Amino acid sequence: MIALRSTVTGRIALTVLSTLVLLFLALPIVLIVVTSFGSDAFGSFPPDSWTLGWYRQLFAEGSKWPAALSLSALVASLTTVFSLVLGTTAATALVRSRLPLRSAVYGLVLAPLVIPQVVIALGLFLLFEPAAMLGSPIAIALGHTVLAAPIAVMILMATLQGIDERLEDAAASMGASRLTVARRITLPLAMPGMIAAAIFSFITSFDEFFISMFLSSVDTTTLPVQVFNVLQFDVDPTVTAVSALLIAVAVVALVLVALVRRLGGSGKQEGLLPTEPAMGLSTGSEAS
Amino acid sequence: MAGSVLAPAPPAPGTKAPAASQGRLRRALSERRTRFGLLNAAPVVVYLLVLFVYPIFSTLLLSLKSEDGGWTLHWYADALQGSNLKVLLTTLRISAETSLLSLVIGFLLAAAVSRLKPLWAGLVMVIVIVPHFISALVRTYGWIILLGEHGVINNALTDLDVPGAPFQMLYNELGVVIGTTSVMLPYTVLLLYAVMKGIDRRLPAAAASMGAGRLTIFRRVYLPMVAPGLVNAGILCFILCLGYYLTPALMGGPKQTMVAALISEQVMKQSQWNGAAALGIILLLLTFAGLLLLRLIKAVSETAKNRGTS
Repeated sequence: MIALRSTVTGRIALTVLSTLVLLFLALPIVLIVVTSFGSDAFGSFPPDSWTLGWYRQLFAEGSKWPAALSLSALVASLTTVFSLVLGTTAATALVRSRLPLRSAVYGLVLAPLVIPQVVIALGLFLLFEPAAMLGSPIAIALGHTVLAAPIAVMILMATLQGIDERLEDAAASMGASRLTVARRITLPLAMPGMIAAAIFSFITSFDEFFISMFLSSVDTTTLPVQVFNVLQFDVDPTVTAVSALLIAVAVVALVLVALVRRLGGSGKQEGLLPTEPAMGLSTGSEAS
Repeated sequence: MAGSVLAPAPPAPGTKAPAASQGRLRRALSERRTRFGLLNAAPVVVYLLVLFVYPIFSTLLLSLKSEDGGWTLHWYADALQGSNLKVLLTTLRISAETSLLSLVIGFLLAAAVSRLKPLWAGLVMVIVIVPHFISALVRTYGWIILLGEHGVINNALTDLDVPGAPFQMLYNELGVVIGTTSVMLPYTVLLLYAVMKGIDRRLPAAAASMGAGRLTIFRRVYLPMVAPGLVNAGILCFILCLGYYLTPALMGGPKQTMVAALISEQVMKQSQWNGAAALGIILLLLTFAGLLLLRLIKAVSETAKNRGTS
């Protein structure tokens, strides 16, 4: 690579190419944010004049967005709770105990990340339809947890692996009960990881579309399903503002995770995500 | 804040003196540990068995049931015939095109990033990772604004009097592949970047010092080292594309219907659950085949590596 690096043309070509690729990734997002403040909701870039009107219309009387937003928030909160409970116990079992069939359990936990979502969604539909639970926030949250829990497990496993087990042993050897150790030693140390797991669970559910679509009914649609319906079936300029809001939520979530990581200061900086699903899969099979 | 709570507990000095008592403690703990592990693993295992494994299993059963309650394979025969087969082939084709494109673009970007200084590399990776966490729905909408007939790109091109503009870039395969690639790209970049960072830079340098040309170094030294990563990323990307619904549904035309769209149509509009189940199981089998291939390639490349070192 040293030989490659020396050519100026090669470097310029690579720089131009990678700038184009970064534009390819960022442009659609930037475009939505900018357009959502433009008076002409679809197009003309940069906008001729600026307005906050689309955002005002979101919460105007008769708008269908607030209901979808509150349903999404409710579902995402439920999912976060479910996924944290499952994630904490599962990570404890996988990292801090002797578990028979450990690799089978680990494989089961990771499986929802590679199995096509349409298969998961179809299965859940077949499960909830006879129970007349379609459109129920609980059903949607239970479905989202199938996707969110693996992510929480992976974040919390990484967190627990980063905590020095001798600290727990030391506390235990000095007579602290298991509960005390968990509460006074492990929990405070794992807090940044717990918060990150909670945030990623929330955002996974908040942005989830496919399972929601299968499990929602006509009058209960989550925000992404509503956005999809608008994009596919009718023209509603406020959808740009909603999309910009979804971008804002994701960015805020990522910033929060980065802050928590920094403040928690678990020694080494692991970057934004130790838990990229695909990465986890390719490295995860080695761990099992 | 978190660390200060346990600051008074000194772990190091205590470990040597009461070694015997700690050993006993450890043994007692390790017996309890299995029970503890089972107890803690139970929630997630039960949860996934009920809400993940069982639903897939009942999908499998449904795909094998005929209308009168007996067993049949005719839903599979249906799924592999006529227009359904066409959809299946379209899915495979679009997935292949998309993974190939994401692989090429991802390779270029990862190669460029792996040569940057850490600060710049971190910055570029943020631009790669942040979009990954923004809803694919929203990013697809961004592409629709960009590529539409009166979209940003076509407006710019017509303003520049480019011959042939405006181009049809939406509701055809071009749009689907562009949109889906942008969704899959973060995966390939991250996977390839991890591989490229792990490469021993002294090897290409050594080859250069022995007089190898740039192309030879790339072909004989660099490429063999990243090849397993490329195959890995390509297959994973392909698997993820197979069941993808959103972007093809919004950016494609009727000719770009993918299996996921067909399944959802059969469930929502035609109440054709058995057929949908059969399609779902076919998708699942294709995914398993891909995962198996991943494992196989890994095993092969590991034995090759072992042979190389011994």
